[in-house]
Amino acid sequence: MVNPEALAGASLTGDRVLIYHLRDVIKTREAEGTAFRLRVPSLQIALGEKIALIGESGCGKSTLLDMLSMVLRPTEIGSFRFRPEQGAEPVDITNLWKKKRLNQLGDLRRQRIGYVMQTGGLLPYLTVRENINLSRRLLDMSDDGLVEELTKDLGIRQHLDKLPHKLSVGERQRVAIGRALAHRPSIVIADEPTASLDPIAAERIMSLFIELVDELHITVILASHAWRHINRLGLRHLEHHTERKEDGSMTETVVSG
Amino acid sequence: MRHRLKDIIWLAGKDYRNEWQMSGFFILALAAVLGPMLILFALKFGIVGSMLNNLIEDPRNREIRPIGSGRYDQAWIEQLNERPEVQFIVPRTRAIAATIDLKSETSKRIVSVEMIPTGSGDPLLKNKQIPVSATELVLSSNAAKKLNVEVGDEITGSLARRFKGRSERVHLTLKVVDIASTASFARDGAFAPIGLVESAEDFRDGRAVAEFGWKGNEVDPGSRKYPSFRLYTDSIYNVGRISDALDKIGIEVRTRAADIEIVRNMDRNLSLVFWLIAIIGLVGFSLSLGASLWANVDRKRKELSVLRLVGFRTAEIVWFPVLQSSFTAILGWLCASLIYFGVSITINQMFASQLNNNEKVCHLLPEHLLIALLLTLGSAIFAASLAGYKAAHIEPSEGLREI
Repeated sequence: MVNPEALAGASLTGDRVLIYHLRDVIKTREAEGTAFRLRVPSLQIALGEKIALIGESGCGKSTLLDMLSMVLRPTEIGSFRFRPEQGAEPVDITNLWKKKRLNQLGDLRRQRIGYVMQTGGLLPYLTVRENINLSRRLLDMSDDGLVEELTKDLGIRQHLDKLPHKLSVGERQRVAIGRALAHRPSIVIADEPTASLDPIAAERIMSLFIELVDELHITVILASHAWRHINRLGLRHLEHHTERKEDGSMTETVVSG
Repeated sequence: MRHRLKDIIWLAGKDYRNEWQMSGFFILALAAVLGPMLILFALKFGIVGSMLNNLIEDPRNREIRPIGSGRYDQAWIEQLNERPEVQFIVPRTRAIAATIDLKSETSKRIVSVEMIPTGSGDPLLKNKQIPVSATELVLSSNAAKKLNVEVGDEITGSLARRFKGRSERVHLTLKVVDIASTASFARDGAFAPIGLVESAEDFRDGRAVAEFGWKGNEVDPGSRKYPSFRLYTDSIYNVGRISDALDKIGIEVRTRAADIEIVRNMDRNLSLVFWLIAIIGLVGFSLSLGASLWANVDRKRKELSVLRLVGFRTAEIVWFPVLQSSFTAILGWLCASLIYFGVSITINQMFASQLNNNEKVCHLLPEHLLIALLLTLGSAIFAASLAGYKAAHIEPSEGLREI
């Protein structure tokens, strides 16, 4: 069933259904006399889109990812809506932050978002299989064959009963990708997922990742400082520019798209 | 919520098992503190317990003996008997008048014994036949041995007096209804109903005893005065109260209250020493466990923040260190209990030859072990609380990247 508001949302943006819709979201951080500000005048990310956020470290990529991951509270919010799937009511994230509904934000993260961390972020005391199944376990999801398929595609089937420390860095990243996708989230957020790998392995794993995301129709936001092979994967580049005040007291990054 | 608590238990358990060296170290450290404490307490409880038990079991510790002789009448004795603390009281006649010569057919000896007045409820004749009629008595085991008699045998008793310038001797047939243990009466003696003891005194004093057909002066039965009495309280803890009451009306008494007080004092002081050691041990253990849990939260910051990232709530993260220290508490307690059981069996065997059947030098009740578990769990959870507080403040964003 499609509700009228979803239709209205769709008509405003063509046939795009927005998973993220941000307007005038600002995060300010101050440390040792210098201020950093990330400003998002407008950001619209459609369901199923693949977004790349390319830039040097310190440009505000992480701050944006944290806000989109709902783990960092923006300083000012014009509006921040999150629609986890087509036909669903958009969730007013502004409201959840204002009312400090941290547990509700946690629930959203658990159900709707998958994360791929730079160094895997696997739990060292769980086997590969248990790591991949972690989110599914927390959500009480029954086995639908996806985990089997993912481990096959990721080429880690022979490692299922091993602990992460027995695996190479590349293999661990594959497991991390499996864990991020296993519970069929609405969106996967990946912060430098291949930064710790050699370029060849990085490119192979990145292609595999994008392929899987495409197959499962999961929206993806990818932050990276290496843009060469990103371009080839057909990701939408999120525009941003950084300005520094001459006395160094203030750095501002503006992101929109 | 309950469901996710199950997941947290699972995760905390997995982590605990994965770091088994660290976990094992703390389990053993706890056992090394708790085990000796259990043994120490068991020794205190066993030794002082059996000392107290001996005091309670031995009726002589409940006895109140008047010093010197008084003049007590039947009514006064009965009045004292009405006090709830008094378990047994019987009047005594003059000690010299309460001897009797006994002779049996199986022995050539004539044995002179002291008669101890008795009656139902006499604590010295617990589980023995109480002599009821004036021709029944219970012999002390010494006397029975000298007379070479057994329960049910008949013996002859004889009393002598000088009456109106002439020596007289009477004989009476007596039945041995039971034999008292050495612990009850060590010398040559016979527990006899008060009637028989009174008759012996009457005969010696030259009064007539109708029951046995002994001639003499007529007596007024209401005028009898007793010089002393045998009195036992119902428990060792009431000895003081009755002896104080007697003291107040001018009757000087002798009790074993001082012995009892010594043991009770020792119990109190040893308990104090034990608790001092226990508190120092538990606090020390709590501090070292707390410090390691605190450091653990730092070490596992990234993993904990990943858990926050995948949706665990603050309150659930707090469970992580709390659960792990509870595992240590339970397993350490189990080890300590095993140590205790092993050591206590050895100690009790070492002392077995010096003890009565069911006495134990090293002994704990199940509730002592339960209290030990609860105290250990309590201090372990206390130790984990700071670490839990720290864990609760981990931001989920920390899990997203290397810091």
